[in-house]
Amino acid sequence: MNFEKLKASIQDMVRSFGLPRVIIALFLLVLFILAPFVGVNVGTSLSDTLNRFGMNAVMVLAMVPMIHSGCGLNFGLPLGIIAGLLGATLSLQINIPGPFSFVLAILLATPFAVILGWGYGQLLNRVKGGEMMIATYVGFSSVAFMCIMWLLLPFSNPTMVWGYSGSGLRTTISVEGYYLHVLNNLLSIRLSDHLVIPTGMILFFALLAFIIWAFLHTKTGTAMTAVGSNPVFARASGINVDRIRTLSVVMSTWLGALGILVYQQSFGFIQLYMGPFYMALPAVSAILIGGASVNKASILNVVIGTFLFQGIVTMTPSVMNSMIHTDMSEVIRIVVSNGMILYALTRKTEAVR
Amino acid sequence: MKLQMTNTQKVLRFMANNTVPILFLVICAFGIPLSGYSANYLFSEIIIRIVRNSFLIVSLLIPILAGMGLNFGMTLGAMAGQIGLIFISDWGIVGIPGMLLAMIISTPISILLGWWCGKILNMAKGREMVTSYIIGFFMNGIYQLIVLYGMGAVIPIRSNALVLPRGYGIRNTVNLIGIRKSLDNLLTIRLFGIPIPLATFALITLLCLFVLWFKKTKLGQDMRAVGQDMEVARAAGIRVEHTRIISIIISTVFAGYGMIVYLQNIGTLNTYNSHMQIGMFSVAALLVGGATVAKANIRNVFLGVILFHLMFIVSPMAGKNLIGQAQLGEYFRVFVSYGVITISLVLYEVRKRRDENIAGLELAAEQEVKA
Amino acid sequence: MSITFNRKTWIRLAIIVLILAFSVFLFFIGRQHTVLVDNKTITVNGTEVKALQLVEVQINKLDALELAARDRDKFEVTGQTHEVKVVYTDSNWEEHVITRKFKIPLMQDMVMILIPALVADAQADQSVWLENYEPPTYAMTAAPDEETVITDDLAGLITEL
Repeated sequence: MNFEKLKASIQDMVRSFGLPRVIIALFLLVLFILAPFVGVNVGTSLSDTLNRFGMNAVMVLAMVPMIHSGCGLNFGLPLGIIAGLLGATLSLQINIPGPFSFVLAILLATPFAVILGWGYGQLLNRVKGGEMMIATYVGFSSVAFMCIMWLLLPFSNPTMVWGYSGSGLRTTISVEGYYLHVLNNLLSIRLSDHLVIPTGMILFFALLAFIIWAFLHTKTGTAMTAVGSNPVFARASGINVDRIRTLSVVMSTWLGALGILVYQQSFGFIQLYMGPFYMALPAVSAILIGGASVNKASILNVVIGTFLFQGIVTMTPSVMNSMIHTDMSEVIRIVVSNGMILYALTRKTEAVR
Repeated sequence: MKLQMTNTQKVLRFMANNTVPILFLVICAFGIPLSGYSANYLFSEIIIRIVRNSFLIVSLLIPILAGMGLNFGMTLGAMAGQIGLIFISDWGIVGIPGMLLAMIISTPISILLGWWCGKILNMAKGREMVTSYIIGFFMNGIYQLIVLYGMGAVIPIRSNALVLPRGYGIRNTVNLIGIRKSLDNLLTIRLFGIPIPLATFALITLLCLFVLWFKKTKLGQDMRAVGQDMEVARAAGIRVEHTRIISIIISTVFAGYGMIVYLQNIGTLNTYNSHMQIGMFSVAALLVGGATVAKANIRNVFLGVILFHLMFIVSPMAGKNLIGQAQLGEYFRVFVSYGVITISLVLYEVRKRRDENIAGLELAAEQEVKA
Repeated sequence: MSITFNRKTWIRLAIIVLILAFSVFLFFIGRQHTVLVDNKTITVNGTEVKALQLVEVQINKLDALELAARDRDKFEVTGQTHEVKVVYTDSNWEEHVITRKFKIPLMQDMVMILIPALVADAQADQSVWLENYEPPTYAMTAAPDEETVITDDLAGLITEL
């Protein structure tokens, strides 16, 4: 009898959580357990995972506003990333070395994010129902357009431009001397030789997550949730649906800009040209792994999803390599992330518009 | 309540409906003189591109007929075709027999992949395009699993020239010297000194005739009904899900054959990259030809191939002559390729909404008249 | 999904069998082989046969190749049955022409024709002067070591369309 009840409750939990997610979580657990047996240091792995978590969490957080307002998964994240890149390159061009360049980058990226987000939001409002496909291609087109711009814009800082011709930005620009590890090293806790917790970065994410959480509980925030779950009711209540949707897009774009800046300070490089091309997909699949769906997402989804996704991305190469001496991590990453998105797209529980 | 349109209105309406091809014509009109290429060179290049790509683009027509939108899942067919080619290269089969055998091998794989893709698309009604797009990526992972890890290890491959030094996995590039231009060279005539592969043209014509015939069959009419309104079709007794899956299967099989035609023209197989790009470019070319997400015909295919590839060919040189950097031209053509898809998708959605609006207003007006 | 054996199923099965048969046919006529022709001194049935000074070899309708003593050359052929024509001048300044048909085993990539053996006994069975050839393994793995496999899905810049 007790066994029956246990089985029923487990089945319920699995069904509500989603079978793929359970599989992924178990897979990661297995990897962590196997790690010490195959000679992979658990401390380093945990440290790496936390590091990658911090790097990517803000970009995953950027998915939340648009999912809430019913604009679907933000495949157009590259647009926000471009705003961040503009902020970063301009900050480097102004050339104030040290941690202040990070603050400067954020300050410069924000107006770009607002303008680009506003335009993008206006576009999405006119294509309700087909947002996701158009978001993807808006993202691609803008990255391709910026490729032309990175070549033409008159940057002059010698660390940024091609040495030979003196004009046109390099593909990757180092942020050493500016804001490399600015957040990572802030209040970092060194637990042991291998385990370092990049507290600063995680605190920054926590701050942004708190701001979003608080926003979603304000009047505007609740209006946003209403627009996403029941647009007809929202309009009947007098909410300006289009305005709220544009606001959510602007927020998403701004978070994307911040997200790439956080990523850069940890990674150490600014990646231009085709770098941001496919950056939406990991963020989208991360939040879906965390339990979100096409029109429902919470901060908890962001945390769980980013941790699971980055955990798999970190652990699979090292563990599998030591075990079977083959690096299948790339293939596994492709299958897991795209499979997760497929799973979410085919759920019937969401209202299909 | 038909409006009488003045001639200017007619012209404006024509331009609005054909924005993308006209835009491309303008770009080409600028780009061709800037690039400095001779008409002879451009003509021969375009012939090559038409021969290479048309088959693939025609495979996109049937899902549009069935209302599935742009079938980004043609990547799956391309993968099946490539697997067929890997096998015949390994077995050393050359010439037309090699091509035919590759097509025969790719068919069951395409059918299986197309069936699976169709089933998933049926589970994501209303979001077919994004889903087929992601399916392409997902399948790429499975393809890599098979070709990069399975072949040589689980699937026996005899030829050392194909397999990586580590013992399993196919190399980055596979030389298709055996079937290179085997279809093209079958029957070539020279026109103004430019070789024109008649056999391939004949094959493409056959495919176009098939599509035209198919639209008239019962299955084709069923697909059109499903494409226009799923519920009405279901009420009329058509097996909607089954028909949708069949349209994807047909498209995938043709995409497989099209990929083989494409690769026999190029002569080298880029094992891990070519199938990913081909989907995007075929879709872009079709849209440039004036097709939309809901309506596409043979005219769009050929107009699209010519315009899109003209732009593609002249951009680097035009960029070099205009600004001094060929790289700029290359980025420009990437931007234009993605931009055209974006514009087409946006215009389609906007127009769809406007038409729904107008239909709603007309309906309301009729109700008022009645009352 | 039950399968009832009515007319439709039989027709479909028949078509599949036909296609399979056609595939096997294609395999046969499309298989490419390399025929090496060798003009070196060899031992046949205990007796030594010397290499010829100069000999001209032609396979099917391809270009004829000239071989001096101890020369070796190759032909690429498609299909299983072929004809080899050997023209040589013997010590009496007479010209001899030998034409023989031969069959290549289906799964064999490379075969070698020993010209001296063929010349010594023009009517000999194919097994005397035609042997299967396995390329030494070191010749095959001459490729550079550990190629990095580019699986990057960044379809950024496209060079060839």
